[in-house]
Amino acid sequence: MTGYLSPAVEVRKLARLIGADAEDLAYFERLDGQVIRDLRDQVTVVLYDTDRQLLQRVATATKLIPAKLAAVIGERAFGPLLCARVTGLLDPSRAVDIANHLPVTFLAALALHLDPRRASRVIGEMPPATVAAIAGELAAGEEYIVMGGFVGHLSKAALLAALDAVDDESLLRTAYVIEEKQNIAALVALLPDERLDDVIATASSAELWVEALDVLDHVTERQRGALGDLAAAQDDEVLDSMVRAALSHELWSEVLPVVRAMSPESRKRFATLKSIQARRVLQTIIDAAAEDSLWAELLVLLPLLPTTARRQVAALATSFDLGLFAQIVSTAHEEELWPALIAFAAELDKGPRREMAKLIDGSDDDVLESLLGAVHDAGLEADLVAVLRELPATAQRRLGTRVATAPAEVVQALTGAADAAALEPFSKALTK
Amino acid sequence: MSQDARRILRPELGGSVPGGLDELTDEELSGFAAILRVAKKQQSEQLGEAIDEALQIVPRLLRGTIRKILFG
Repeated sequence: MTGYLSPAVEVRKLARLIGADAEDLAYFERLDGQVIRDLRDQVTVVLYDTDRQLLQRVATATKLIPAKLAAVIGERAFGPLLCARVTGLLDPSRAVDIANHLPVTFLAALALHLDPRRASRVIGEMPPATVAAIAGELAAGEEYIVMGGFVGHLSKAALLAALDAVDDESLLRTAYVIEEKQNIAALVALLPDERLDDVIATASSAELWVEALDVLDHVTERQRGALGDLAAAQDDEVLDSMVRAALSHELWSEVLPVVRAMSPESRKRFATLKSIQARRVLQTIIDAAAEDSLWAELLVLLPLLPTTARRQVAALATSFDLGLFAQIVSTAHEEELWPALIAFAAELDKGPRREMAKLIDGSDDDVLESLLGAVHDAGLEADLVAVLRELPATAQRRLGTRVATAPAEVVQALTGAADAAALEPFSKALTK
Repeated sequence: MSQDARRILRPELGGSVPGGLDELTDEELSGFAAILRVAKKQQSEQLGEAIDEALQIVPRLLRGTIRKILFG
């Protein structure tokens, strides 16, 4: 989902810019979010260019009068929208001087109309206390889109002050609509663990998992893991609410990468949650893995699931075609997740187990070599043999001949497992 | 998007219509063009009124100079 722009959010931003109701522009939601964003950028240019010469002259004239008088004129005559248009044309330190004479409510109203990209230097020079006060006003007015537009332009001190001024719910809602998603990681980096704990609890209590998971989709892998660990340390109810949200909003493609990034202990806690054991939940997890090729994410989860749940997943995998199994095998090879796959494959029904065996038989030498090494290291020879049992005798002999060239200890352990399972053609080929 | 809709929208978007709007109907695009036209007109009118009002607030001594900057 990285890079995804919500059409609904982009329509709200466009509507704000041109002073229209978002409902009147609802037809734009049929378009791609990026198309609406590009259109908004173009409309912004048009609106700023419409009276550009006159606005530039206003900015020039402002230099002749004291900052206090400029503030009075701005508030009484120009109003927030026109002041927003002029702001980016002023010298930044002059603009900050004038802002210091304006009430916070006016500055917050001005912020609603400001294109932060055109006033970035002014925003960057605003005092943290003023920024915090404006953020408080905007949060009270639920102006999350506006706040989200400023994040990448504020100084670190101002951003910290603003973070202190808004509550957790406002923070989540703002992060969800943040203009430049790449700024989310920097924002999260400023928050101490205690605050992040509170934000996660708020995602649960205020049912804001859609927003929270979008944030998790845009942080660094390390942050994703750390946040996942914080979530896993919370009460069952918090994690259960995430599972419910993932189910109802089809968010497994966001949740699974978080689970993968967690520590093994946190992942285990997640895997043993009662709420994910339901067949319907497991089905949606598998569907998401298949749709977005999240096989590595699924493979790290599988060994941690309770036996019953794992068998349910194995039963659900009966519907997989050879193409999907090929993807899974390829992922297991690339991500070094053979043990998880082989242990899982041994639990599959006869049909899919045969498909897996065929894929192993048809694999390249380097793939086979990595599989055998991983199986040996994990002591999963019996599981591998259980899978290969589904091959016809000729294929078993062919594969056995290839495997026989592996290191002696690998061949020896596999031979033992094949003998124990009475897999004669494979065993004979191994020792030939 | 018909040529008519494109013709109506183009001037409101500064001379070019971006790609990706083809899924919208001509009626929707015309409606959007009308909203843009009103937004631009209102902005210009507000600016004119604001300047008039500002000149009343500016000290008499500076008024001439500022008027000259604004209107040449």
